Amino acid sequence: MESNNRERIPYWHWIPAAFALAGIIVFIFATYGPPASSSGFVSALKGFFEWAAPEYAATKAHYKAIPGPGSWLFAFVLGMAIGGFIAGRTSKKIPVRDMPLWKKRFGDSRAKRYAATFFGGFLILFGSRLAGGCTLGLFISGSTQLAISGLYFGVVIFAVAMLTARLIFGKIAQEEDVQ
Amino acid sequence: MTQIWLGLFSGIAFGFVIQRIGATDAHRMARSHLMLDADIPRFMVLAVALSAVGLFGLQAVGVGRTLPLPTSIVATGLAAVIFGIGWGLTGYCPGTTWAAAGEGRMDAVFALLGRLAGTALFAQLHETLIPILYDPTNVGQVTLTNLLGNHAAAVAVLAVGFGLCAWGIGKLWGSGERVAAFEGEPDSEKSPGNAEKTAA
Repeated sequence: MESNNRERIPYWHWIPAAFALAGIIVFIFATYGPPASSSGFVSALKGFFEWAAPEYAATKAHYKAIPGPGSWLFAFVLGMAIGGFIAGRTSKKIPVRDMPLWKKRFGDSRAKRYAATFFGGFLILFGSRLAGGCTLGLFISGSTQLAISGLYFGVVIFAVAMLTARLIFGKIAQEEDVQ
Repeated sequence: MTQIWLGLFSGIAFGFVIQRIGATDAHRMARSHLMLDADIPRFMVLAVALSAVGLFGLQAVGVGRTLPLPTSIVATGLAAVIFGIGWGLTGYCPGTTWAAAGEGRMDAVFALLGRLAGTALFAQLHETLIPILYDPTNVGQVTLTNLLGNHAAAVAVLAVGFGLCAWGIGKLWGSGERVAAFEGEPDSEKSPGNAEKTAA
């Protein structure tokens, strides 16, 4: 049973994957500094406002603090999208699909799902910019540097996300036994 | 220019690995949050433990740059609550959104747009909110080294602590067999990726 199922798991084993990610993170610390991904959104917007409304971009503290699109930060998030694209193209096993748990809970409407991810995305970046980082920029890179901010942020985001997921999907996951 | 190539290269490698562990799949992320699948959280905490040891090695030979962010008790905590609600609802965090959008997930594209809107609103309100929420309870760039008084000991505490977390998550969360069962579900065979696999 175990060996039979092993072949069906399309994902990497978590231990070698963690070594690979840690190698990349250490490489980033050596060649750039603390990695961050939510700052990439600020970079993108700064580039937009410098083109559309240069005076606005020049007066806002948040845009002054983060470099524009011609920077490591923006190249990194662009790289992430390219990495995701290459990984998706080279794996036939990892499914790209409508989220089954979501469909069981809220039905087949794509508009509903898109509206929810837009709203969730809005909350996540509003929070990230208030704290100064996200899962990567604050939790992973902060904790790697032993920062209390990273540990504190990490504990709270996991706890709240687990509670939120339980409130939204918990009942469905139990009743329907959605795997 | 070198910095841009380094950033691009690092991003591609990072995006590739998080797709392969399944962190770009919102369904798998939701299952992690529901404690049904241990792999993503224990992958994350083990990666942090290993990175901390690696960074300690870099610092020993004087390579690299660090910049720990300050801790604001109110702002960091409140931000984490807002973030957690969004993460639990959508299953995407900022980094995985870029990779998931690249992978061709449409809901991630909308998450990306929402993120741009959230960033724009916060940047607009920065001058108002930071003095109210962030500055009053900002305790500075505190690290474990400050609390424990010794850098090497702090790294050891963090690495061992996170290593134990990885082990504990494996115990508390569901085991790998349930993931395997889900992969064999008829439902997942309808997805484009798995259909091809079944045919092959």
